[in-house]
Amino acid sequence: MIMKNRIAVPVMKVLQLLFLLSVTAELALGQITVNGGNISLAVTTAIAGSEPNAVINVVAEVRYQRQTVVTKITVATICPGQRFNLNVSATSVGGGTAAPQVSLVNGMLATDFLTGVPLRPPGGFFTASLQYVASSTFAQGNSAELGNDVHTVTYTLVAQ
Amino acid sequence: MKTPIIIALVLTGFSTSMAQFGTANHDVTVQVATITVLQVSAGSVTLNIASSSAVAGQDIMSVSDQSTSLLWGTNSSSQKITINSSLVAPTFTLKALALNPTQGLSAAEATLNSTPVDFLLNIGRSLGSCSIQYTGMALASQGTGTDSHTITFTIQTQ
Repeated sequence: MIMKNRIAVPVMKVLQLLFLLSVTAELALGQITVNGGNISLAVTTAIAGSEPNAVINVVAEVRYQRQTVVTKITVATICPGQRFNLNVSATSVGGGTAAPQVSLVNGMLATDFLTGVPLRPPGGFFTASLQYVASSTFAQGNSAELGNDVHTVTYTLVAQ
Repeated sequence: MKTPIIIALVLTGFSTSMAQFGTANHDVTVQVATITVLQVSAGSVTLNIASSSAVAGQDIMSVSDQSTSLLWGTNSSSQKITINSSLVAPTFTLKALALNPTQGLSAAEATLNSTPVDFLLNIGRSLGSCSIQYTGMALASQGTGTDSHTITFTIQTQ
């Protein structure tokens, strides 16, 4: 029993060290960032006989690094009490293939945004523009009566 | 006896870190302004009360037109559409009625002057259309003449 404890303690320390190293490695390699900060889209016009005109914003971009495996980027959003429509797609993609336009719905499962990001070497980062399209119908109302939709949109780089 | 449990936990940690390489997020705000649009179909309407409109023995003569329509859109709640003429006191009677509205309820046929009257009710937060029926009426005793109206439709809070 004493022998077992003497062996178990070093093994545990080694495994703890390995775990810490893996976390450190993840932080070092987990490079995906959103550049451009928070953004806002305002639906303000309509033509008689049609629903209000959609608004497009391509100010922000996502920056992501090649990994040792082929990766993809997924997208999800949290927007409690969502009332209006918001879609996103990748444009000007530096590495990988843009997935079809994603409809961002509060509480959605992570959905493919960009797939087939090539593995390394070589190292380095890619970028892709974030094209957001906001729209609403007359029946969905307006912000003065209902408030704005505020989405926290999360992009995740994962193994494909 | 504790070692296998620790190994299992560590392996779980490795598995998670292998699948996900990082996340990033930002906030995206969607704002929708108060939007109201109205459009009357193109073209003027002429109501010509001629001898063919007269019925022997009746003083009143009338003619109707349904050739124009109204389109609207509003994203505000509790809305209605009113109608008024540019003429304060027309010589002859002009009435208007909304026909077959896709949203809301038609108000009763209204006699037009410069005071706005209800044309469509309960249209709030909708995209819709209706035909406009104009009816011109004259009494034989009123003689001849022409009234030229500019008709105004307005979306407003009900």
